[in-house]
Amino acid sequence: MRARELAIASSVALMVLLLAYVIELGGLGPLAPHTIRDLAKSYLEYAYNPWNATVSSMALEAVTAIVWDYRGLDTYFETSVLFVAIIGVAALYRGYREMRGLGGAGLSEIVKTSTRVLVPLILVAGASIAIHGHLTPGGGFQGGSFMAVLMVLLAVVFSLDYAFERGLSSRKLLAIRSAGLIGILLTSLALLVAGAVAGVYAYVFQNMVRESSELSMPRWIFDRPLGGTLFFFNVFESLAVVSGLTLTFIVLALRREEVDHALAAGEWYE
Amino acid sequence: MSDYISLMFTVVILSLVANIGIALYGIFTKPSLIKKFIALTIFSDSINSFAIAIGFRRVAGSYPSVAVLADVPGSPEELQHFYATSVDPLPQALVLTAIVIGLAVYMFLAGLITLYYKHYGTTRVDVVRGGSRG
Amino acid sequence: MEPVAILLATVAALLSVIATYLAVVSKDLLVAVVLSAVQSTAYALIYYVLMAPDIVLVYVPVSVGLLPAVSVLLIKKTERYEG
Repeated sequence: MRARELAIASSVALMVLLLAYVIELGGLGPLAPHTIRDLAKSYLEYAYNPWNATVSSMALEAVTAIVWDYRGLDTYFETSVLFVAIIGVAALYRGYREMRGLGGAGLSEIVKTSTRVLVPLILVAGASIAIHGHLTPGGGFQGGSFMAVLMVLLAVVFSLDYAFERGLSSRKLLAIRSAGLIGILLTSLALLVAGAVAGVYAYVFQNMVRESSELSMPRWIFDRPLGGTLFFFNVFESLAVVSGLTLTFIVLALRREEVDHALAAGEWYE
Repeated sequence: MSDYISLMFTVVILSLVANIGIALYGIFTKPSLIKKFIALTIFSDSINSFAIAIGFRRVAGSYPSVAVLADVPGSPEELQHFYATSVDPLPQALVLTAIVIGLAVYMFLAGLITLYYKHYGTTRVDVVRGGSRG
Repeated sequence: MEPVAILLATVAALLSVIATYLAVVSKDLLVAVVLSAVQSTAYALIYYVLMAPDIVLVYVPVSVGLLPAVSVLLIKKTERYEG
């Protein structure tokens, strides 16, 4: 096998050298340029522009405006892909039940006490990143994954037995995930329904006033900009992400007795 | 001074390319599925880093004056500094989607590797019946 | 562009190359997972210097928190030493 590995290593090294040659001599443009493309300039100018309201999204954060307003369909289908993957992982072990009393005790008392202090801090930080997504860097997925890391920490420090006795179950997590997705769907169709009721032209995924449609989501809350649909999308997406990733972690962390029960139940079909 | 900065930026880009090469070598030659899994995550992270490095803009001047809208701007003139110093936001939005989809694929792959081990008793790909050595 | 910022990015990039090489050739899979988390931290520093804070906020929980947790679970259920 030495010749085969040598051939693979040398071909990979040749690919790396050619790529470096192309980049070094400016095949992809000069490295660290001083100007940006015209498309990027137009997105930056459209992100917060109350003087040209038919192209603006009235959010102070350009990346969140691109993710949820200008390319909102991409993000909607990315959330669907994550949902399909979660369903796929849960379907690999179909027929599993959460069993209690399997004897997990968690880690020592010192770790448990110091984790109890951390729980509200991480929850508040994650929720703040999710809710302020249209004003500061952040958004739905960032806040949701912060809180999902907290759930993983809790499942390791206090054991899964403790979580199942407190009432955590896969059905509740899947219900919260589906509620988040339904919230995203309703927010994207909100202006369309309002336009159909009032007899006015409106688009799907519409956020602000556009050239042929007069309806718009609310732009200000007291004296701060509320980005219209961006705020609602961020909140629902963070709910969906935290429950979906926790569900996946629980399925991947099933104990041996539960896995045997699930696979025994599944083999009846073969 | 600016050619030192160009040199250091070139070193960053070349180390990203070297990471791609090492990760591809790890995917192709190591027989263990978990090592392939780890090398696959490193490979896709390096590709995403390239996408972000393409959208970078070098601003002549001092670093602390970054493009941040700290308050609601009242007139178009306050936004000119923002337009002049900000980087390209479009690759960052695309990389966000790529990271989430990568996470979804890795979760599913971890479930599949566990079932592979339950079925064959090993995580190597070359000693099972139908593999490259079996 | 201040030279200190790009110097930080260069040091982080070289550290990530070393960590990637050691992770790919290591025989103990738990050490490989920890070294890939070191590489992810170095990449988070590079993203910060390249002015992408949204990406840092996604990358740190996903690649230093969730993926090593899933990988350690995977190692616990299968085998720890390759080969």
